[in-house]
This record gives sequence, C-alpha cells and structure tokens, in this order.
Amino acid sequence: MLSWSSTESGLTADLSAVVSGGSDGGLPFGREIIGFVDAIGGKDDQQLSEARQRLVEAAGEAFMVDTAAVVANFEMMTRVADGTGARFPAARAAQRAQLDAQLGIGGFTSAR
Amino acid sequence: MSGMTDSGAAVGVRADLSAAYGRSLAHVASPGSSLTAARRVQVADAAVAAYLDPAPPPPWVRPHGDAALDVAHRLGCHAGTVTEQWYQQVIAEGMHPLEWVEIVGVVAAAVPPVAFARAAGHPIPGLPAPVDGEPTGREAPELAPATLNWVPVAAPADEVASVVQALSALPDEWDNLWQLAAAQYMSDRQMDDPLWNRGTLSRPQMELAAGRISRIRECFF
Repeated sequence: MLSWSSTESGLTADLSAVVSGGSDGGLPFGREIIGFVDAIGGKDDQQLSEARQRLVEAAGEAFMVDTAAVVANFEMMTRVADGTGARFPAARAAQRAQLDAQLGIGGFTSAR
Repeated sequence: MSGMTDSGAAVGVRADLSAAYGRSLAHVASPGSSLTAARRVQVADAAVAAYLDPAPPPPWVRPHGDAALDVAHRLGCHAGTVTEQWYQQVIAEGMHPLEWVEIVGVVAAAVPPVAFARAAGHPIPGLPAPVDGEPTGREAPELAPATLNWVPVAAPADEVASVVQALSALPDEWDNLWQLAAAQYMSDRQMDDPLWNRGTLSRPQMELAAGRISRIRECFF
C-alpha cells in the first residue's frame, strides 16, 4: 500500500523506514511520524509525550490526531488478523515473497 | 493540550472519530452473540489492561486462569504470538469457536479507543456500565470453514480477503470493526483511491504509520 500510494503520489517511499525506522521514508514529516509510531509501540510515556510534541510542532495538532487514529486502526486490524489466523491466498503469498524478504517479516510467528 | 468535554468527546478530535469510539465502547458493553454485556466488559478490561501493561508477562503465561480472559489478555499484549495450535488448544478445552470470534471482536472494539487516547495524550476512556439482557444469539445465516482464517466465517468462505471475512460469522462484531476502520483510517471505497486523504496526512504518510506499527507488532499480514 505504501509503494502503491507513494508511486501514485509521485513520491518514492523508502520501505526500509517501515523495517527499521530511523529515517523519513522519503516523505514529508516522515521522521516525526516514525518517531511517534515507535513511541506508541513502546512503553515509555515520557518518550511518547516528547514524540507527540515533535509531531505537533512539525505538522500540527490535527495531523498528530489523525496519525494517532491511523495507528489505533492498525492496533485493531493486527489483532483481528492475528486472532483469526488471517492469511493470504497461495497465489498472493508467492507474489509477496520478495516484499516479505525486504520487510524482514517472513520469520514472524504470525507468518502463516 | 486537548482534554475531554462533559460528554466525553475529546477536544480537537474529529466528530466522526469521537462518535465511532463512543459507538464502539457502547457496543462492548451491550449483550453479544454468546456473551452477556458484563462478560464482554470483563473481556475488554483484560485486553485493555494487557495493552497498557508496561511489563506484560511472557506470551505463554495465562494470568487469569479463565480461557476467555486469557485469550483477551494475549490479544491485548502479544497478538503477534497467537498460533493456530493455541487456538485449537483453547477450543479443545471447551471454548466454542464463535465465542473466540466474539472475544476477538470485543478486543478489536475496546483497544482502539484506548490506543488512540494514549497516543494522542488524552485521558484513557472507561467502559460504560454493562447493559442488562441475555446474549442475542445473532450470527451469520450460514457459517462455513475457511482456508484463509482459522475461525469459521459467513458462507461462502474465502471469496473476500481474510481480514474482511475474519469477523463475518458475527455481524454485530463485523459492523463495529468496519465503522471504526472508516473513521480511523478510511472506508473500502476510499481505499481504492491511492490519493484519497483527509487533508492532514497524505495517503503515503498514512501507509507509513500503518506499516510501521504493524511491523512493531510483528503482524505478518
């Protein structure tokens, strides 16, 4: 979805930002978005507060709120997928092999 | 800093998003297909506590000694470690597969408002008092085993994406999931347009956030 939408937007997204963070992914405010998401995924509320503030200062409160909503959506969808054993059809799984390797996700327990 | 109004809506939050979270929390506290509202609130509490736990126990620990609450707990803090083997084990212990689906639906309804509030720096919302009443027994008119999910789904199986059919056995859980998705992310129709956005994040920025949190949660899907 990131590759598709960035290509359609005339951008070149760097998928390595999804894997390891630490960059802007080739997108405006990408570094602040990654920092915010990483802090949400962590347990340190002070770090989260600081990352939230950096995103607000860079992109505004409404942008931060909508980023939080997107993250909340995928806190939901990952639980639905993992809780119901969602998997790709065999043909689609074969097509994804290269992407899975690029993202380093083939070894996840949830890889079915 | 944003706060909460007397009605519970967070200042600075889109009205459609606040409304979606309100509906979801009310849904948790209403009778479900096989669980009473009080039981659903227990399940939700277990999931939310696990989600917020700064030092959760390892995935294999079942802290509640109660299958429904243990499933909710693991989905709350270690969803990426749930295996088909563990699902089958819990079913063999006596949980009905549709109860498992309902628990997933309750977790999916309860965690997002909390995840959003924590992320945005708003007060963590509480659950409404459970509504009296018996379980509804409502389920899809016909169920079928799926090859794209462990759980039974609405027939015919495997004609839509696995994540779309995941909760289809229980229409009320399915409806709540997708009303949340439309407010938090986008609707199915909007998803088809790679340039659609709300005027804040561009679509690639949305996908960057989505991909990164999914990677952190070790969700292959």
